[in-house]
Amino acid sequence: MRIIFPLLVIAFGLAGCTTLGVQPWEREVLAREDMQLDANPVDAALDDHIYFSKEASSGGRGFGGGGCGCN
Amino acid sequence: MSAKDTRIGSAIAAATCTLLGTTTTAPVVAEEAANWEFDSALLYYGESDGRVTDLSASILARRDFDDDRFLNLDLAVDTLTGASPSGAISTGAPQTFTSPSGDAVYTTAAGEIPFDDTFLDTRFALNVSWSQPFARLYTLTAGLGFSTEYDYQHMGANFGVTRDFNRRNTTLSAALAYSQDDIDPVGGAPIGFAQMLDVGDDSGKGGSESKDVLDLLLGVTQVLGRATVLRVNYSYSDSSGYLTDPYKFLSVVDPLTGDTLARTPGPGSQGPTGVYLYENRPDSRRKQSLFAELKHDFSGKVLGVSYRFATDDWSVDSHTLDARFRWPLGQSSYLEPHFRYYMQTAAEFYRFSLVDGQALPEFASADPRLADLDGITFGLKFGHKTASRNEWSARVELYRQTGSVASDQIIGNQAGRPQFPDLDAVIAQLSYRFKL
Repeated sequence: MRIIFPLLVIAFGLAGCTTLGVQPWEREVLAREDMQLDANPVDAALDDHIYFSKEASSGGRGFGGGGCGCN
Repeated sequence: MSAKDTRIGSAIAAATCTLLGTTTTAPVVAEEAANWEFDSALLYYGESDGRVTDLSASILARRDFDDDRFLNLDLAVDTLTGASPSGAISTGAPQTFTSPSGDAVYTTAAGEIPFDDTFLDTRFALNVSWSQPFARLYTLTAGLGFSTEYDYQHMGANFGVTRDFNRRNTTLSAALAYSQDDIDPVGGAPIGFAQMLDVGDDSGKGGSESKDVLDLLLGVTQVLGRATVLRVNYSYSDSSGYLTDPYKFLSVVDPLTGDTLARTPGPGSQGPTGVYLYENRPDSRRKQSLFAELKHDFSGKVLGVSYRFATDDWSVDSHTLDARFRWPLGQSSYLEPHFRYYMQTAAEFYRFSLVDGQALPEFASADPRLADLDGITFGLKFGHKTASRNEWSARVELYRQTGSVASDQIIGNQAGRPQFPDLDAVIAQLSYRFKL
């Protein structure tokens, strides 16, 4: 008992610290189309192009799809 | 086995065979997964007051091969027309400017901010990328990009790798992109700070120019819970070469009145009625940005929020906050309001005007896009999934940009005249996503 109890505490403690995340079978929400980080690549690319032409900063999310003579 | 067991066994066997027997009269064929997925869009961008209008059509095609390999093709066409602020400022008298081609002139009324409306441009862009798994937890992506318009060509290549950790809850990614752009301005690239001359006089103009850009992106994507995912990216970008806008210039003004210095075109010639100098930007720019995006599901409704901080060695610092909320309507539709707020500080070489008699700075630009400015966007998107699981959507957004000039840059009569060309624009887009 004197060995098992501290071992259990450590084991539970370690289990709690085993980094953030979910089990593979808990991904039903994360797998949904609207939960993807790149859910709308076309909208994002069009917006990036508009704001790149009208403002002095660009990018950050990913690579732009190409340059243009607008900024 | 006892006789009783054998009879039960037989009964079960018979029942199972019957079940299998009835289902095999109509052979079951696994549904073939759609291989091609298309994302098409038609976009209208229109600024008020006869300013820039853009119409674009784009199609993104994705082909899934076996084993998580896929090919992405992105084709876009754009036509741009309308008036753009040239960098010159309003003054008490009407102003005449030589157009970029050097073949004609255009005018601005007294007291108005000058706009150049001689633009008409069509741009084609093509991007191709290939992605495939490598070993068990890695994905490799490689891509090529190309775009062309009347005065500008772009070619680029990119390469990226991602690695999953922690039961695919954590993904690290790294990507590199290199591009080479060739600029061939209408009328030739002006020599920095050259004065705008009469029609037909191109002694202040040169030929074509080029620039190259190296981009590095490092990112982490982390699942925070069953309904939450976070992405954080760090980007570094190094541009060198011709970074000046060949069509923008600055007004040279009187040090007391702030009025633009007058100029008389040569005898029998048409040309500028003021002293204007073409802008001159540094030939290198190093930018860094930190971007974070979070998506969270609230029982079917999804909130996406992102924030980006960007800074560079031109002293432009910016903050961008973007939020979207997807609200499902029934089983097949959704409504998605969108809000974006952007603010930037002016580039260190941004000048409202150049003062006659003062030494020329090393670099200067009056391009309003390099000034202190804010941009706010409100948008609404509606989407609907059809019975065949294709999706069409429509969105409308309103963008308002306002800027300001530091008071120490405003001289004399400039204070009573319009300074920053505030912008109001509408974005309208129709999209259709379908599988073949």
